[in-house]
Amino acid sequence: MVAEVSMRGITKRFPGVLADDNVDFEVEAGEIHALMGENGAGKSILMSMLAGVYQPDEGEIFIRGERRTLSSPLDAIDAGIGMVFQSFKLFPSLTIAENVVFRAEPTKRGLIDRKAASRKVAEIAERYGLSIDPDARVDSVPVGVLQRVEIVKALYREARVLILDEPTAVLTPQETERLFDVLRALRADGRTIIIITHKLGEVMAISDRVTVLRDGRNVAQLVTADSSPAEITRHMTGRDVDLTTPPPALEPGEVVLDARGVTVPGAGERDAVSNADLFVRSGEIVGIAGVAGNGQVELAEAIIGMRQVSSGTVSVSGTDLSRATIAERRDGGIAYIPEDRHAVGSAGTADAIDNLALGHHRRAPILQRGLLSRSAMLEHAQRLIKRFGVKIASPATPVGTLSGGNLQKVVVARELDYRSPLLIAEQPTRGVDIGAIEAIHRELCEYRDNGGALLLISAELSEIMSLSSRILVMFEGRIVAEVPKHEANDALLGLYMAGHEPEERHRPGAFADALAASTASTNHEKGAAL
Amino acid sequence: MNFLDLFDQDLVSSVLRSLIPILLAALGGMLAERVGIFNIGLEGMILVGAFSGVAASFFAHNWIVGVIVAMLAGALFSLILGYGAVYRKGDPIVLAIAMNILAVGMTSFLLVAIFDVQGVFQDPGVDGIPVWRIPVLADIPVLGALFSLTPLGYLALLLVPALWIVLFRTPLGLRLRGVGERPLAAATMGVNPQRYQLGAVIASGALAGLGGAQLALGNVVQFTENMSAGRGWIAVVAVMLARAHPVGVLGAALLFGFADAIGFRLQSFGLPQQLTDAGPYVVTLIVLILMSKRFRKTREAALA
Amino acid sequence: MSALQRVGRWLAGPIPVSIVLAFLIGACFMLIAGVDPLNGYAAMLQGSFGTGAGLANTLQRAVPIIGIGIAIAIAFRAGVLNLGTEGQAGLGALAGGIVAIYVPGPGLLVLLLALVTAVVVGAAWGLIAAVLQNLLGVPILLSTLLLNYPARYFSSWLIRFRLDESSSDLVASDQVRPEVQLSMIVPRDSGFAETLRSSLGATNPLTMVLTGVNWSLIVLILVVIATIFMNRRTRYGFESGLSGQNAEFVRYGGVKPGPLVLRTMALSGGLAGAFGLMLVIGAPNTRLIEGYFVQTNYAWTALLVTLLALYRPVGIVIAGTFFAAIMVGSDAMGRELGLSPQIAAVIQALVIILLAFRVALPRFRRTRAAADGATAPPPANPQPALSGAGVTDTAASASEKESER
Repeated sequence: MVAEVSMRGITKRFPGVLADDNVDFEVEAGEIHALMGENGAGKSILMSMLAGVYQPDEGEIFIRGERRTLSSPLDAIDAGIGMVFQSFKLFPSLTIAENVVFRAEPTKRGLIDRKAASRKVAEIAERYGLSIDPDARVDSVPVGVLQRVEIVKALYREARVLILDEPTAVLTPQETERLFDVLRALRADGRTIIIITHKLGEVMAISDRVTVLRDGRNVAQLVTADSSPAEITRHMTGRDVDLTTPPPALEPGEVVLDARGVTVPGAGERDAVSNADLFVRSGEIVGIAGVAGNGQVELAEAIIGMRQVSSGTVSVSGTDLSRATIAERRDGGIAYIPEDRHAVGSAGTADAIDNLALGHHRRAPILQRGLLSRSAMLEHAQRLIKRFGVKIASPATPVGTLSGGNLQKVVVARELDYRSPLLIAEQPTRGVDIGAIEAIHRELCEYRDNGGALLLISAELSEIMSLSSRILVMFEGRIVAEVPKHEANDALLGLYMAGHEPEERHRPGAFADALAASTASTNHEKGAAL
Repeated sequence: MNFLDLFDQDLVSSVLRSLIPILLAALGGMLAERVGIFNIGLEGMILVGAFSGVAASFFAHNWIVGVIVAMLAGALFSLILGYGAVYRKGDPIVLAIAMNILAVGMTSFLLVAIFDVQGVFQDPGVDGIPVWRIPVLADIPVLGALFSLTPLGYLALLLVPALWIVLFRTPLGLRLRGVGERPLAAATMGVNPQRYQLGAVIASGALAGLGGAQLALGNVVQFTENMSAGRGWIAVVAVMLARAHPVGVLGAALLFGFADAIGFRLQSFGLPQQLTDAGPYVVTLIVLILMSKRFRKTREAALA
Repeated sequence: MSALQRVGRWLAGPIPVSIVLAFLIGACFMLIAGVDPLNGYAAMLQGSFGTGAGLANTLQRAVPIIGIGIAIAIAFRAGVLNLGTEGQAGLGALAGGIVAIYVPGPGLLVLLLALVTAVVVGAAWGLIAAVLQNLLGVPILLSTLLLNYPARYFSSWLIRFRLDESSSDLVASDQVRPEVQLSMIVPRDSGFAETLRSSLGATNPLTMVLTGVNWSLIVLILVVIATIFMNRRTRYGFESGLSGQNAEFVRYGGVKPGPLVLRTMALSGGLAGAFGLMLVIGAPNTRLIEGYFVQTNYAWTALLVTLLALYRPVGIVIAGTFFAAIMVGSDAMGRELGLSPQIAAVIQALVIILLAFRVALPRFRRTRAAADGATAPPPANPQPALSGAGVTDTAASASEKESER
C-alpha cells in the first residue's frame, strides 16, 4: 500500500540551528498519527515543510506515491494537505466565513458571494459536528471555537491530510475529548490526521501510530497499541526524566500575599477578573489552573500593578499595596515572571547587562550616590549568568539572540534576585527545552524552601499539579474552585476549568475558612483586618 | 462685510479645491495602512507628483501627459518605501521621513537644473487640467460646484465608493485586509503578503502623485518649491482618524478642506495670511484631540 | 580579529557603502544639471574643508545640527518620536531672542535670562505633545509634527508685523546688542586674535576656526559630554534607553511611562530651544529673521543625522559635522556652478534611505553569518526605538513564537 505522506531524508537548517536532520517520516492513509517530541525537537518545523511554509534543504516529499515540491502553502493545499497551526492563522476583524473562504472565495460578478460562503461553511461545520456561526467575527468568539474554524478552513479546501499542532493546549480535558470525537469522525470519513503533541496521555488515547523526534532526528516509529508511555518517554528524552519535584521542606508560614475582592474590568461587558480572593503563605506554592484567557494574566497583572483594578485590595506581608505603583509594589516585595518574555519580560535589542539590571538599578550596589555604577551592573550580570547557567556569548550580547530557555533563565534570574517574599510566575517553562524546565523548577522549589511565597500560573496541568500544594481554578474571571494537591487530577480540574459547580469542600475559600478557624491562622487574620 | 459672506456659494467650490488633493493622497495612505504599512511619505509623494506633472505638461503641452506622468512618478517614488519596508525590512517611518526630505531636495534641485528658476516655475507652455462642467447640473445652487470639477476631482470623489466596494466586497479587498491584519496568516493561506503590500504602497504613491497633479495643474498652474506644504501630513492624520475607512477618509478630508477654505476667506477680513495658514493644522490637532478616544481604544486593544 | 580587519569590515558595511552610493546617485543629479560631478564634488570639498573659512563655516553650521540632533536623539532613544524640534527650536529662539533684544541690563545676565527663556519655551512647546499623549493618547509623532506649523506661522507673523524694523530689506527684528551676543571663541578684534594671526597666519585653519566660530561650539561640547554621562550613568538615562527598546518591559520593571515621556519631551524641547536661540544671538547672525528656521532646514537635517548615528552622541557629532560639510560644500558648489544647494538634502536623504535598505558589500554578510557560528546573528536593527521587538527569527524563536498566542 502506498503511504499517504512520505517524507524522506528531510534536513532543515536555520542560521546556527539544525532543526531537522535527515528525517524519514511516513503516514498511512486513514490513520491518526502522533508526532511526538520535546520542545525544539523539530516537530513543528517538519510539519511546516509538509504544509509548504518552509522548504527542506535536503530530502524529498511524496504524497500518495507522487513526488511533490511544496514550495508554498498553495502547493500544499493543492496536494490536499491542511495544517492547523498552534498559533491560529486567523484574521480577528473578519467573520468566520470570510476567514474560511480567504483566497478561495466564491464570487458572483467579481464580488464575493457572501451568502454562498456562509452556506458552505455552515454545511461543513454541521457534517462533522463543529458548531460555529459563520457570520460571527473571529475576535468575538472563544478560543475553542477558533480551533474549529481552523479545521473547517482545511476541510473547505478539501484537505485529505489534516495536521494539528498541539491542538489541546488551549482546551479543557472535556473539550479535548470532543475534539478527539471530531478527529475520529474525520478518520472514519477516510481522512488522514497528524497530531503534533508532547502529551503522552493524548497520544495513547487517540493515535494509531507514533513517530518520535529528538534533536531533529527520527528516533522511533511505534504502533501505539504495542507501546507504553514509559517507552515513548525514553525515546523522547533519551534518558529517564524525572520531572517530579521535591515536596516542600517547611510547613507554610505567615500569609504573604493577601488579595481580596480583586475585580479587573474586561474589554467587553464581562469583568476580566471578578471578585477574586486568594492568599499565599511563605514556603508554599499555590497554583492557578485554567484554560488560557480566563483571567489568570489579568489577575497577575493586577497584583503587580500593571493593570487597573475596579475594586479590591492587595497586601503583601501585611502592607497594603492596593494603591501602590509598580515600583512601590516591587519594593514592597513582589517579583513577577511574566507570561510573555519577549514583549514584557525583556528588551531583545538590549544586552544582558541592562536586562538583568532593570529594577535593581534603583538600589545599591548598582545605584551609588544617585548614579549608576557600570562596574556594579557588569558584576551583577556576570554573577546571575553564572549562577543560573545562562548560555550567552558575553554579558554585552543582546538577549534577543538567546534561545527560549536561556532568555527565560535571564528573566527568572532577575526576578529571583530581588529576593522578594512573593513571586508570581506565569507560564515559567512554556516553550523552553527540557533542561531549562528542570533548572527552572529546581530554582522555584529552592525559592519556596527558602521561605518564599510562590503564585504559579500555568496552562500545563502537569506542571501545576507537580509543583503546587494548593490549586485554584479560574473560569470566566472567577476563582471557582480550590483543590488540595492530593485530591487533584486531570479529570477533576478539567471539570472545574469548564465551569462545573465544585464539590462543597472544593468551594473557594473553604480552605481559608478552615484555616481561620484553626489557631495557626493569627497572621492571616491580621491580614484580614487590613 | 458681513460675517455670513464667509458662507456664500463659492465656499463649496473652494472647499472642493482644498479637498481634492488631500483626498487623493489620503485614499492612497488608506490603502497602505490597510496592508499594514504606515505611510507618512505622502507629503513627498505629492510633491514629486506636482513637479513631474508640471514638467511633463510643459514639455508635452498636454495636461493628460502631465497627469499620467505625475501618477507614474508618484508610484515610482513610492517604491523607495515599498521596496525598503517590504523587502528590505527597513523602518517605514525612517524611510518616509528621508523620502520627504529627498522630495524637497530633488524637486528644488531639478527646478534649477531643468528650468533655471528658483522658487516658482510658471510658464504659458504648461497645460493646466481643464474643468469639466456638466451642463444643467453645474447650475444647481450651492451643490452645482460638485459638477464643475477637474477630471481628477470627479475621480477622487468616485474613488470613495469604488474603493469601498473593492475593500469590502471583492476577493482582492479581503486579501488586502487580511494581509494588513495578519501577514503571517495570509501567507499560510497562499497569499504572498509582500506582493500585496508592495502593490498597495505603489497604489498609494500613484494616488498621492495624482493629488500633486491636481495641486500643481488643477488648483494652480505652476510649481512652487515645497508646494505640498503639509497637505501630506494632513492626509496622514485623515487616514488615522478614519481608521483607514474610505467614507471616514472623505469626512476627515472634507473637514480639513473646510478649514482651509474658511482660513483663506478670513484673509479678506484682514486676518494676516500667516495666522490663517495655521488654520488647517490647528483644526487637525484639535480633531486629533477630540477623537483621541479612538487612539485610546486601539491602544487598549493592542494591549489585550 | 586584527584592527585592520575590523576597519576593512566596517568599510564594507552599510554606512560607508550607503554614503558612497548616495554620492554616486548625487553625481547622476549633477549630470542631469549638466555639471561634471568631479568638478562638483571638488568644489564641495574645497568649500567645506579646503579653506580655513570653509572649515569654520562647516563647524558653525554643524553646531545647531548636532545640538538639535542630540535633542532628537534623547527623545528617539526613549522611544518618543519627537518630530517637532523645528517648532521647539523656533519658538525658543523667538522667545529667547525677544528677551535678548529688548530686555535691558548687564550683557551676561540678559544672555542667561534669554537662554533660560528659550529652554523653558522650547520645553513647554514639547510638553504640550507629551501631555496630549499621556492624557489622551494622541500619538506624539503626529502632535509634534502638527505643532510645527502654528509655531512657524506665529513666528513669521510676529516678526513681520510686530518686530520688523524697517531699515533693512530683510523682514527681521533689531540686532541683539553686542554684549548679549555670543561672540566668536576668540573675538576678531581682540589681542589674542592678533597674536594668532601673526603667529599662525591669518588663513591658518586654527585661526579661522577660533575667530570664526562662536561660543555655541563650547556649549555644544559640554552638552555632548553631559548627554553621554546622562545616558550611561543616570537612572533617567538607563530607563529611557531601555524604554525605547521595549516600553512595556520598562513599565513592568517599575518605571512609570507618563513621567518618563514628560521628562523626555521637556529635555528634548528645551535643548532644541537652546540651540535655536544660539542661532539667533550667535555671531554673525544676530537678529530674528522671518522664515529662518524653515529655510535653513536645521531640524530635519538634524533628524537625518540622528537616524544615521543611531542616537549615539559621538555618532551624531561625526554625522552632524559630515552633513554640515555637505551643506556648506553644496552652497559653495551652487555659487560656483550655478546649481541649487538642495543637492545637499538629496545626498543626505539618500544616505539614510540606503542605510535603511541595509546595503552592504555582499561579502560582508556571508563572513558575518559564518563568524557568528552557534548563536544567531544579533538583530542588525538600526532603529531599535522604532521597530518594536526587532528580534531575528532563529529557528528556536520561530517555533517558540508559534507557541505563544
